[in-house]
Amino acid sequence: MIDIVGALMDNIISVLLITLGGVLISWSVHFVPVGGAPAAMAQATGIGTGTVQLAAGAGLTGLITAATMMGVTDSILLVLASGAIGAMIMISVTMLVGQWSYVYGVGCVPSSAKVKYDPITKDRQDLYVSQGTEGHDLPTVSYVSGIIGGGLGGIGGAMVYYYLMIIENSLPATELVGIASIFAVGIFFVNAVIPSYNIGGTIEGFHDPKFKKFPKAVISSLAATFFCAIMGVIAIGGL
Amino acid sequence: MSAGGSGEAAGGMSHNTIIGLGLLGALIGIYAAHFLGSYASFLGGIGAIASILWGAESVRRVSSYGLGTGVPSIGMIALGMGVVAATFGLAVGGVAGPVIAVIFAALIGLLVGLLANTVLKMGIPIMVQSMAEISIAGTLTIIGLSVAMVGSFTFADVLTGVIATGYIAVIFIAGGLAILHPFNGNLGPDEKQDRTLTTAVEKGAITMIIAGIVAAVNAGASGALTIIIGVAIWYIAFSRFYKLVKRDSFSVVGTGLLPNEEELA
Repeated sequence: MIDIVGALMDNIISVLLITLGGVLISWSVHFVPVGGAPAAMAQATGIGTGTVQLAAGAGLTGLITAATMMGVTDSILLVLASGAIGAMIMISVTMLVGQWSYVYGVGCVPSSAKVKYDPITKDRQDLYVSQGTEGHDLPTVSYVSGIIGGGLGGIGGAMVYYYLMIIENSLPATELVGIASIFAVGIFFVNAVIPSYNIGGTIEGFHDPKFKKFPKAVISSLAATFFCAIMGVIAIGGL
Repeated sequence: MSAGGSGEAAGGMSHNTIIGLGLLGALIGIYAAHFLGSYASFLGGIGAIASILWGAESVRRVSSYGLGTGVPSIGMIALGMGVVAATFGLAVGGVAGPVIAVIFAALIGLLVGLLANTVLKMGIPIMVQSMAEISIAGTLTIIGLSVAMVGSFTFADVLTGVIATGYIAVIFIAGGLAILHPFNGNLGPDEKQDRTLTTAVEKGAITMIIAGIVAAVNAGASGALTIIIGVAIWYIAFSRFYKLVKRDSFSVVGTGLLPNEEELA
């Protein structure tokens, strides 16, 4: 049997910062313009797939870039920055290519039905929303919001990974990387699904009225991630 | 019959029977594969199929209320919670590992279910129980497939053979899809329990075949046996699924081949 209390006390900082990483992931999902199935038919603003797929795509890219950076340096700032940049590039590319297919393929104008004017460009929105739809594509504000979300998610994922990796243990490097990354992926998915239940599957970005609901998801993620973090720290710290 | 948002799904086998079948089937399979030596490693795959069946039924029950996010999210959270609980259980539990993993999976699931209903106000009456069930099913799927791959659930073996090699990622996605896809692929007004669960067995068999391919390079597990039994289960389940599709559809007609250019002219 392993020394549970000892492993926990030695790594209490890791538990707290892994929890913070989970909360950041949960918050980040609220920024990403997720349109779900309606957006896939260009009948709602956002990218045409579910929260979890988007968060996983961007977040896992962030994890990979963070892990690569961790191979060459121990500096937490560089690891977090690398994670953020990786996730931001991934979500930007996803949104850009989605935008091309909506504009040149479907042939509709990027517009939001939630606001009358784009908060960033001040462009009129409601005139361009097709009848019977809730907007389509990604207006500038959604695009910017998505990049912010990718960045926050990448920082959160990288933080979870970093603080799992620095836990004292006697594992060889390859096995530690394996177990830390799969724990980070597990925590990432839990924290991607909780906010997606909070927003009911779709959101346009930080200008969407649903964005104001984020404290609920953050509180839920805080509790769930704290529990997962304790388990992760005991499992890795005891080896 | 159950479509998204229409309330609790009912049908054929009672839910408690399936809980018993999934939980006991998976645990017996996992322990048998661990103790009976390398030729019995395929029993881990059978255990994984039992837990996938249970997971798919729980997804079917809870998703019938309409989650608002699509069914895939719940399959991914199942394996997200599952991978945390499974790794923790095997790391601290020794020979009791799978049982400890199940207990902690239930705790995470209960916590997430309670948060979903109290803080997020999702208002799905069976959410708490379902989340716990889905979390345990995900955990047992991961452990079952790991045992099928390396022939034991001793943490050192799982760590070197499944986690460090990255096969855990294959388990994560294949197991998650096997749990979420049956209801996602069959949902609609004509959804029937037996057809959905047959799909679950068929998807479980595919994950078992994948585990068998991995086991082929591990000395502690028998790859060939796992693959052969997996293919047999897949064939039986797929034939049954095809029969059920024909039973449930209004009519099945052949469209023939596409006309060639001369016929069109």
